[in-house]
Amino acid sequence: MNSLAAFPASLRCLAILAVLVGMTGCGRTPPAYFRLNMVEATKQRLTSDQERQVSTILLAMFGTPDEPVALPETGLDLAKLKLAAGPVRSDIAGRKNGLYREHCGHCHGITGDAMGPTAAFLNPYPRDYRPGVFKFKSTERSDKPTHDDLVRILHNGIPGTSMPSFALLSDVQIDALVEYVKYLSIRGETELALMRAYFELDDDAEGKLPETQEFLVAETLVPVAEKWQAAADARIAVPEMPAGLDLAVSIAKGKELFYGDKANCVKCHGPTGLGDGQANDYDDWNKAIVEIGKEVQSGLAKAGETSTSGMSADEVAEHRAQVAWLDRFGQVLTGDALRPRTIPPRNLRHGIYRGGRRPLDLYYRIHAGINGAPMPAAKGTVPPEDIWHIVNYVLSLPYEFDGELGADRTLVAQGR
Amino acid sequence: MVALRFVSVLGISCCLLSGCRPARVSVPGADAEAAGTLRATLVSAPAAGAQAEESAATGTGWATLKGRFVYAGAVGEPKALVVDKDTEVCSKGGMKLFDRSLQVDPSSKGHANVVVFARKTTRVKDPVSDTPLVFDQKNCEFLSPVFAARVGQPVDVRNSDPIGHNTNIAGSSFNQLIPAGASTVYKPDSETGMPTMVTCNIHPWMKAYCVFRKDGYVAVSAADGTFTIPDLPAGEMLEFQVWHERSSGPSGAVGLSKPELKWTPKGRFQIRLDPDDVKDLGTLEVPAGALGS
Repeated sequence: MNSLAAFPASLRCLAILAVLVGMTGCGRTPPAYFRLNMVEATKQRLTSDQERQVSTILLAMFGTPDEPVALPETGLDLAKLKLAAGPVRSDIAGRKNGLYREHCGHCHGITGDAMGPTAAFLNPYPRDYRPGVFKFKSTERSDKPTHDDLVRILHNGIPGTSMPSFALLSDVQIDALVEYVKYLSIRGETELALMRAYFELDDDAEGKLPETQEFLVAETLVPVAEKWQAAADARIAVPEMPAGLDLAVSIAKGKELFYGDKANCVKCHGPTGLGDGQANDYDDWNKAIVEIGKEVQSGLAKAGETSTSGMSADEVAEHRAQVAWLDRFGQVLTGDALRPRTIPPRNLRHGIYRGGRRPLDLYYRIHAGINGAPMPAAKGTVPPEDIWHIVNYVLSLPYEFDGELGADRTLVAQGR
Repeated sequence: MVALRFVSVLGISCCLLSGCRPARVSVPGADAEAAGTLRATLVSAPAAGAQAEESAATGTGWATLKGRFVYAGAVGEPKALVVDKDTEVCSKGGMKLFDRSLQVDPSSKGHANVVVFARKTTRVKDPVSDTPLVFDQKNCEFLSPVFAARVGQPVDVRNSDPIGHNTNIAGSSFNQLIPAGASTVYKPDSETGMPTMVTCNIHPWMKAYCVFRKDGYVAVSAADGTFTIPDLPAGEMLEFQVWHERSSGPSGAVGLSKPELKWTPKGRFQIRLDPDDVKDLGTLEVPAGALGS
C-alpha cells in the first residue's frame, strides 16, 4: 500500500517526470498545418471527399504554414511571406524568421482563423482573417484595407483591445507580417469561395469541383486577389476640415447631428454617449455563429419531437442523416468556434478610439461605417462638412462637462 | 495516502498537457501528391484551344415563363414582433408588426415571396435599365419582404419614416445610414447567389431579403403566388433555382416532386422554351413538410 512512500521524494518526482516525458515524447513536433474551415464545410454539408478536395486544392494553391506558395495572381511577395512563415528560428546572420508564429499565431491562429490558444480569453476576440473583412482602414466599406492601413495597425496596435503595438519590430519585419496577413486572408477567402461553389455545381459534376486553371485561378482566386490589389487606389477622398472653423460652433453643430434624425448616432451610442443604446447586436463574425447555433438548436428540438413511425425507409434514412448532421454541427461549433459575444457600441466618453484617434481616423469611421460591425456609413446622406462637425463633437465627448450632464444624472451611469 | 496524491498529481499533469479544450472533429488531410500535380497545372500557361469549346448550343428568340405557387400546409397566426425602440413611430396608435416569413393568401392559398431565378443564361435581351427601383421602409418595416434587382441597376434605398434607419445588406458591405425622409442610391455590383438578408441595426426586428442577378432573370411570387419572368432566351435548356426564406432545403432551396421538370432537392428545375412562347407551369404546390420553423 505504502510502497511508493518507501522511495525518497526526489525519486518520486523523477518518476513523474519520466511519465510526462513518455507522454509528450522526445520526437520532433509534427509540422504545423492549416485547419479546414469546418464551420463553413459543415454548413455547406460537404462530404469527406469534398473536404479532402478543398484541402488538396488549397495545398496546391497556397502551400503549408512552413512552405507558403503564392501564385503570381495573388500579387504577394514570396520572399516576404517566407520571412513571416514557418517555425521561429534565426539564420546564420541572426535574422529572425517565423515572425507570424512568434508574434501573431498564439491569438490569430496558424490558419488566421482567430482560434489560437489564447483567443478564447480575449475580449474582443482576435480578428479572423478568413472572411477578408477588416474594420480599420482608409478605404470605402466594401474595399480592402491598404497595405499602409495594416502597417499602421501593427505600429499602433488597437487601443482598447488585446492587440498590442509592434513598433519595436523593424519596418522590414512589419512589412513581412502585413504581407503574411494578406496571404492568410486571401487563402481563407478562397477556401470559403471553394466550399460555397459545391452548391452551385451542376448535377452532372458529381459533386466535384473542376480542378482547372480557369475555375481555380481565373474564377476563384483572381476576384479575391484583385480587391487587395485595388485597395491602394481606393482611398476615401477626404475634404479638408473647413478653414477658419470655430471649434465651439462646430462642436455644437456636431452635437445637434449626433442627437438628430439625420446622423442618428444616439440610437446606438446612447443619449449619454456611453455606448448604452442598441447594445445587443453582434458583429458579422459572431452573428454567423449565433445564426447557425439557433438553426442547430431548433433543428434538434424539432427532430426530438418527430416520430419515425409511419415513415418510409427513405424518409427514416433522411431523418437520421439530418440528425447526424445537426449533432456534428453542434460538435463543430464547440470545437471550431468561440462562444459568440455581442458587440457593444463604442463608449465615446473614454477617449479610446480603436481605429486611431486622429480626426481623420474618425472621419473614415463615420464616412464609411465599420465593415463587419453594425456601424453604418454616413456618406451620401450626411455631407462631408457635417461629418467634420460630428468628428469634432465626438472628440470633445471625453471632456464634455457643461453642467447639464450632472443636473439630472451622475456623470457615470450606475454600474459602469 | 501518498499513492493517492501521486495519482492525483499525475492526473492533473495529464490534464494540463492534453488541455481541456473540447475535442475537435477530425478533418481529412490533403493529398500531397495530387496537390503537387495540380500546382504544376495552375502555374503553367493555359492550354491552347481552351477558348474553342465556348460555343454552346444557343437558340434564338425570346419567351416568357409563368407559374403560381400555393402552400398546402396550415398557416398559423403570424408571430407579433417585439418592438421596443422608437415606439412613438413603430407602434403608433397600437399598431403591431408581424413576422412575414410565411405569407399565404387565405382564399387562394397563393404562396408569396418565393424567389425564382435563372442559374446561367447565354444571352440577355435588354441592357441594364437606368430607371431606379425603390426599396422603401415605412412604419419600421421594409416594404418589400423580398426584393429582386439586376446587378448594375440603381436601387433607390429610401426611408419614408420620420425617424432614422440604417440598411445593412449582408455579404455586400452595404450598410448605409438613411436619415428620416432621405434616400441614397445603391448599385448592386455582384450577384448574391441565394437571396441575402437585409436588416436595420437600429431596429433589430426589421428584416427583408434581397436577390441580385446579372441577367435580371429573377421573379418574386406576388401575394396570389404568381410569378412571371419575361424575355428569357428561347430554344435552349434553361435551369432555374427556387428559394423561400422558410424552406428546410439546403440554403433555402425549395425542392418539389416534379419529375417532368427534373426538379431536384437543391430546388432546381430545367425547361426549354419555344420562341414567343408564354409557358405557364400552372399550379406548383409546396407541401407542408417543405418549410421549416
